[in-house]
Amino acid sequence: MNLTICHLYPDLLDLYGDRGNILVLEARCRWRGIEPVIQQASLGEDLDFMGMDILFIGGGSDREQSLLVQDLMRRGEELRKAIENGLVVLSICGGYQMLGKYYQTSSGEKIEGLDILDVWTIAGEKRLIGNVVVELDDVTLNTNSAIKTLVGFENHSGKTYLGEAVKPLGNVLFGHGNNGSDGKEGVRYRNVFGTYLHGPLLPKNPHFADLLLELALNKRGLENSLRELDDRLEKIAHETILKRLLKRA
Amino acid sequence: MKRSLRFWVALWAAKIITRGLFITGKKGTTLPGKIANLIDPQIMRHLSVSITDGIIIVTGTNGKTTTANLLAKILMEAEKSFAFNQAGANLMTGITGALINNTEWNGAPKAKLALLEVDEATVPKFCAQVSPTLAIVTNFFRDQLDRYGELDTTVRMVRDSIPRETVLVLNADDPLVAQFGLNRSGVIYYGVECTPDSQRESQETRECRFCPRCGGVLEYSLFHYGQLGIFNCVECGFHRPDPETIATDVHIEEGLIVFLAGKNTFELSLQGYYNLYNALAALSAARRLGVDEEKIAKGLKGFIPQAGRMERFCLANGEITLTLVKNPTGFDQVIQTMLGVDRPLRVLIGINDLAADGRDVSWLWDVNFERLGAHEDRIQQIVCTGLRAEDIALRLKYCGVSEDKIILEHSLPEAVECLETNRIEDEVSFVLPTYTLLFPLRKILEDRQANVESFKLGIKNRGEEANT
Repeated sequence: MNLTICHLYPDLLDLYGDRGNILVLEARCRWRGIEPVIQQASLGEDLDFMGMDILFIGGGSDREQSLLVQDLMRRGEELRKAIENGLVVLSICGGYQMLGKYYQTSSGEKIEGLDILDVWTIAGEKRLIGNVVVELDDVTLNTNSAIKTLVGFENHSGKTYLGEAVKPLGNVLFGHGNNGSDGKEGVRYRNVFGTYLHGPLLPKNPHFADLLLELALNKRGLENSLRELDDRLEKIAHETILKRLLKRA
Repeated sequence: MKRSLRFWVALWAAKIITRGLFITGKKGTTLPGKIANLIDPQIMRHLSVSITDGIIIVTGTNGKTTTANLLAKILMEAEKSFAFNQAGANLMTGITGALINNTEWNGAPKAKLALLEVDEATVPKFCAQVSPTLAIVTNFFRDQLDRYGELDTTVRMVRDSIPRETVLVLNADDPLVAQFGLNRSGVIYYGVECTPDSQRESQETRECRFCPRCGGVLEYSLFHYGQLGIFNCVECGFHRPDPETIATDVHIEEGLIVFLAGKNTFELSLQGYYNLYNALAALSAARRLGVDEEKIAKGLKGFIPQAGRMERFCLANGEITLTLVKNPTGFDQVIQTMLGVDRPLRVLIGINDLAADGRDVSWLWDVNFERLGAHEDRIQQIVCTGLRAEDIALRLKYCGVSEDKIILEHSLPEAVECLETNRIEDEVSFVLPTYTLLFPLRKILEDRQANVESFKLGIKNRGEEANT
């Protein structure tokens, strides 16, 4: 049994320890006897979205992001088809913004996105930086995990707004989230997840990592096939930051 | 330049505060500078005009403090007097303070030469008022992104703000630094031919995969570390410039880094090949200032590392090396140095996320811990401490360190105790803190070292008494 995990543009979108998410997915497959096949795809390389199980798109600096938007547009239709077919996608920061309708710069110019997610982003004046805690929406996420929160760190100036066709991942308990005003963070559409919790999101959120793996296996027709792992350390790390930020006893 | 009344008020106010702080036993590094800048925002310009023999600045991400201190040591060997912002006070306030200390009450300078470490983000503000004679640029790596914004912006800001008349002393092996020399004269490059750690392939964090000039792919015939190496752009031909100062025949001899630069051999009592670059930067600047070779060699060899930069402590169970970790490339270099000693390893890692450490600890996932994981059998124990102890513990788990070797201990004295208790001789031991944990941990190590010394002294004294 193997799972193909594709890290899109790892050479361009590698800000803030994004690699950590791949390392976690890889390890959690291996520990369960599933062989992870990691693809690293760069500009202009051939990609088979239909043949992959999980696609990861991270964030990059402005210069690097502008380099690859065009490359991604070229593959837009194929990606859309794969997503409608249930491809599992984790997109963070810049990757999240690019899947949306557009990004409006501070001068009012609209940079077209892939228009796969019903979201749009407007450049903000101040960067939203800091730790984040999100209370996951049970209905949107549909997991039976004991952990009900996501913890992470955000650093973005774009403010993202959600349309009717998509649902947020949950409510912000600490930090700013999608736009700093509506109290929501992230997005889910089919098996596509977008979030501003950048870099190593998955290490401290093992339940979210497993949700991605489970959805990928479901798509292959395998139900409830994920074995429990010893997540004591992951849970301690998650709990510690929760307690610190939410000042829980 | 005519000095205004504003200048005199600022100068005297700062000097009175400095005197006051001195009398009350406080070493104020920023307060006098802060007040002086408030009263006269152009004070740096006015102070600098009297420094007629030259102003040398050192900037870049890593190695600023070591480079400045190495050069200071060389200048002292050459019996030159100079103004210096020693305590790493490298923002506008700290630099102003150093220049005020160098200025008499009547406005005359004590030394006519200045050596200043300048924080990257401060370079534009500094250069708006002062035109440095010499600017040493060490390297650019990702560091505390949440404070500076993105690396590209920092590099561009530094590059565009240094005046054209300034002579640049540039690291030829870092493309992000070497590009500063494009289309300008008065550039001195320094570089390394090869170190025993140089590789054909790189698995490390690299900030610069693309040409800083045209965006084409950079090819390397050799990697020294990070993006430092012998590079060439396939698109526009931008390549690693030929260094005027080049280190050849680099090797280790009795714990010293030995290298040839020009006709002469130099020795450096520092660990880690990244320190070779700091030595080359200091050496290039010293040569430019006309210091003779013998004094340079003496300065480099006699240099003792400052607090927490590969600093060694002798404890009951052997030596412990303390070194600051603050970004992926620096941490990669420490891992390389630790693995370079072919012995079992016992390590303490302390990660905090206060403002001076960088609030965002995502960078831990950019560190190539996988290299440490590949030598898992040599790891005896890793004690994790600090506000982000759990984050570093998780990182270690995912790089392949077995969980029973990972210890979480939030109390610093207990963490050091834990490291020492289980330790047997023959093991190599490192303590690796981020900035705000450096001084508390250093204090604990110093106290333990003092205990060991007084214990040894006690045995010796008793022995002598028995002899009489």
